[in-house]
Amino acid sequence: MTLLDVTLQIFRYKPGEQPHYDTFTVQVEDTAHVIDAIDKVWAEHDHTLTFRRACHHSSCGSCALRINGVEKLPCIARFSEVWDGHSPLRLDPLRNFPIVSDLVVDVSGFFQRMSASTMTITRDAESTLPLSVDDLAAVVQPKAVELPDNLTRFNRFENCIECGICMSACPTMAVDNKFMGPAGLAAIYRACQKTDDPNEKAHLLALANGEHGVWRCHSAFECTEACPQAVDPAGKIMALRREITANRFKKTRRS
Amino acid sequence: MANLEYPKVRRAGRWFDVRRRKLGMWAYALNRITGIGLVVYLYLHLAVLSLLLRGPRSWDSFVSLARAPYFLALDVILLAGILIHGLNGLRVTLTGFDVGVKAQKALFGALMLVAVVALGVAALMIFGG
Repeated sequence: MTLLDVTLQIFRYKPGEQPHYDTFTVQVEDTAHVIDAIDKVWAEHDHTLTFRRACHHSSCGSCALRINGVEKLPCIARFSEVWDGHSPLRLDPLRNFPIVSDLVVDVSGFFQRMSASTMTITRDAESTLPLSVDDLAAVVQPKAVELPDNLTRFNRFENCIECGICMSACPTMAVDNKFMGPAGLAAIYRACQKTDDPNEKAHLLALANGEHGVWRCHSAFECTEACPQAVDPAGKIMALRREITANRFKKTRRS
Repeated sequence: MANLEYPKVRRAGRWFDVRRRKLGMWAYALNRITGIGLVVYLYLHLAVLSLLLRGPRSWDSFVSLARAPYFLALDVILLAGILIHGLNGLRVTLTGFDVGVKAQKALFGALMLVAVVALGVAALMIFGG
């Protein structure tokens, strides 16, 4: 085990103050994750540093931020992956969200979008409480999922941890505050797949087809690149577009 | 408590921020730059055409200016904008219909290769002819 002296440049903002960067140097193990260094900054240097974290294993999505400009989960980002070994590592809050304080952003808009899909979020390999030891074994070694015959590709939306990284990576979100965004549209797509109710499906597709829906996406694919859980929101947006276009053609042919 | 929100103009700068981003973001930024460039060109083009209203002399003097090598270089830049925007638009259209989504990076690379080859041929024709 080797100890590293890591310098962090952390974005700071408190209401009523000018945003700026503060620099801290902390010592961490070479196998450490970035969240460990942030914890150390808080513990050893500055108790006023505000940041979110909970699970420490990419399950809750609460610690999402930008490391050297790129959206990451610091709980799974090792220094060996994101640090060049000498330059300061710059930490910023997610983009496209109002900044509440330091690295904490207001994610209420994100959850409003998610709830618009009327979809309950459940993840595969996630048991409901109470958790027995047998259940835990199933969680640690999840069984491979067999695709039903009528499915050509596996939809992994359930793996969305609602971290908001896709919304931060999306360049279109920068100027359209009402854009449903990658996560919201991926949730709508999944909800469409799930429902057998034609009225609900029509409502969901109308939502996706709206002014701030799928057509606002301009195919940067950054959401899919940044997603730490391989949800592929851009792929879902394109699939929604195909479905909306196909429905429009069908309606035109019928009329 | 006042949350910090940057003005829209500053946020629009993120359209062009390709630092440490992937190929799709480069395609997005290129499409924005060439799109804005082509709109500016359209208005310039209309302004130049309006010279016709001032009679043959002003038009002829513009045509002689347009034959200068540095002006021909502007033609090559214009063609580059048209090719990049048009061919990248083809990628956006195809992926928008859920075609080639998984291969969008390769698609972008192939289309930009076509753009470079076509631009090279066009440049030879412009300067050679």
